[in-house]
Amino acid sequence: MRRGTQRKMPIIWFVLLALIFGLTILSSILAPFEPNAMDMNHIYEAPNGTHLLGTDQLGRDVLSRLLVGGKVTLFIAVFSVVLSSIIGIIYGGLSGYFGGTIDAVMMRILEALLTIPTLVIVLALQAIMQGSVWRMAIIMGITGWFVTARIVRSEFIRLKELEFVQMATMFRTPLWKILFSHLLRNSFPAIFVVTIFNFAGAIFTEVSLSFLGIGVPPAIPSWGTMLYTAQNDLLVGAWWMGLFPGMIIFVTLLCVQAIGGTFKQGGGRSHV
Amino acid sequence: MIAKWIGKRVIMGTIVLIIVSFLSFFIMHAAPGNPAAAYYGGNAQTLSTAEKERIEKAFGLDEPVLYQYGTWLREALQGNLGYSAKEGRPVAAILQERLPTTLQLVVLTLLIVAIASTWLGLLAGMKEGSIVDRVLSMFSIASSAIPPFWLGILFIMVFSVQLGWFPTSGMNDVRGEGGLVDRLYHIVLPLTVLVISHVGIFARFLQDSVKAENRSYYVQVAFANGVPEREIRTMVFRNAVIPYINYIGMTIPSFFGGSIVVETLFGWSGLGQLLVKSVMVKDFPVLMGAILIIGVVVVICLFMIDVLMICLNPRLRRGGIV
Repeated sequence: MRRGTQRKMPIIWFVLLALIFGLTILSSILAPFEPNAMDMNHIYEAPNGTHLLGTDQLGRDVLSRLLVGGKVTLFIAVFSVVLSSIIGIIYGGLSGYFGGTIDAVMMRILEALLTIPTLVIVLALQAIMQGSVWRMAIIMGITGWFVTARIVRSEFIRLKELEFVQMATMFRTPLWKILFSHLLRNSFPAIFVVTIFNFAGAIFTEVSLSFLGIGVPPAIPSWGTMLYTAQNDLLVGAWWMGLFPGMIIFVTLLCVQAIGGTFKQGGGRSHV
Repeated sequence: MIAKWIGKRVIMGTIVLIIVSFLSFFIMHAAPGNPAAAYYGGNAQTLSTAEKERIEKAFGLDEPVLYQYGTWLREALQGNLGYSAKEGRPVAAILQERLPTTLQLVVLTLLIVAIASTWLGLLAGMKEGSIVDRVLSMFSIASSAIPPFWLGILFIMVFSVQLGWFPTSGMNDVRGEGGLVDRLYHIVLPLTVLVISHVGIFARFLQDSVKAENRSYYVQVAFANGVPEREIRTMVFRNAVIPYINYIGMTIPSFFGGSIVVETLFGWSGLGQLLVKSVMVKDFPVLMGAILIIGVVVVICLFMIDVLMICLNPRLRRGGIV
């Protein structure tokens, strides 16, 4: 019976997440106003009939910026997660497949990298190459692969010893076939789970950095940059500017975490 | 055996620090523009080529990169981390001011999170399927989905702006003389935010590992043989707490990461705020120093967790699993 309830849960989250994705992808059609159009006659307007979620300090429509901003945030998250997964799979796969000294050295390096808070590494790299959405996505991609690599490695080591892989080796199956269709393919459930959590982490990082003013340039709307001025806006009473971007971040992360959590339980093994 | 194990960890820690120092040094090098010009900020255009060369010579910037790294490392080991490009003060002195305040925040957070999550995790894990169990599961997902800074903004909105209970930012009352009570009064909000954003995940972890232990064979046998429940609980706790402590150790870096955002939001002048500030004004010596010191602190924390693990887990003492 418990299994039944567990299986039912993610559908709600899937639908919600799909809705958020759909809305942001279609944002250019759906947004009622041009996201960067300023209207100095209507600054700091509380939510009303014309501006459903109010306007910000330059009279820009919060709802439109929220929709378009989602595109930036989710693009960065998706791109960086794809990049980091590729790096992680290659690094972890090599380390796990070869084993021995190579594995030991590669793992020591990985452990060292895991010691430094990711946010600190990203911050440091931002100092050097701060600038655009693309750079931000690349920076997050090249700093987000550590956990993936570790999990891919442990999966490869586990699978390498299994009979069907040993058998394949005995039959002289080409190396690439063993690597891809045996080891990698059977690691996918584990990779999938860690990728979901990485995705949540990537949204987290983008939002945090943009909030601090060192992520996406403040002129580009993203969920993080919309919160950049929220602290000051609160003091003038504009609660809607802080509340709505935060809410949508919260809901998105909630969906992702819940989906990830279900798959993690379904997989039976606990990773991370 | 223990000596060998500790020796191994110390070597590991050293390797980590070398990598961290390498990273922080090469950030300086990869930085755009001429480091000599960076010291002069907006006035850099007025420097003549001869002056630039003179500055480069003075800072040893005309030497090969690896030689520079060697020099930097030697100086860093002696406590000289260079001078801040913006403030002109020694970086070491700035870090000395900032480190204790960050440690106050992080150590207090860790302590509260450890105690609270142990309590919650045990409470929920021991009674599988109970209300506490389900509520905690939900809370942990929710708390890990809230960005800490947004929670902080909400807290400021409610507790500082609306209710006026706590200050919005800062570490001491500007008019007061400071002191412990004042500091504690200012730490409440940042601490609460950090604790809430971390406690759920840890409680969940312990809850899951307690549940897993509860299902295991030895517990069932103990129950069947009529071993008192108190004793079983102690056994379960002892076995479940080991991976939990390991997990805390693994996530210590994230506490420092989390404190970056929270410190900046609440104007808590610690290392995190310093990092953000130095990135914004491109004060690379300070940035390097701050990264290095965070690396050192994390390595020390991990070492302490390792020692704790040896004390708790007899298997490690025998050198079985490392």
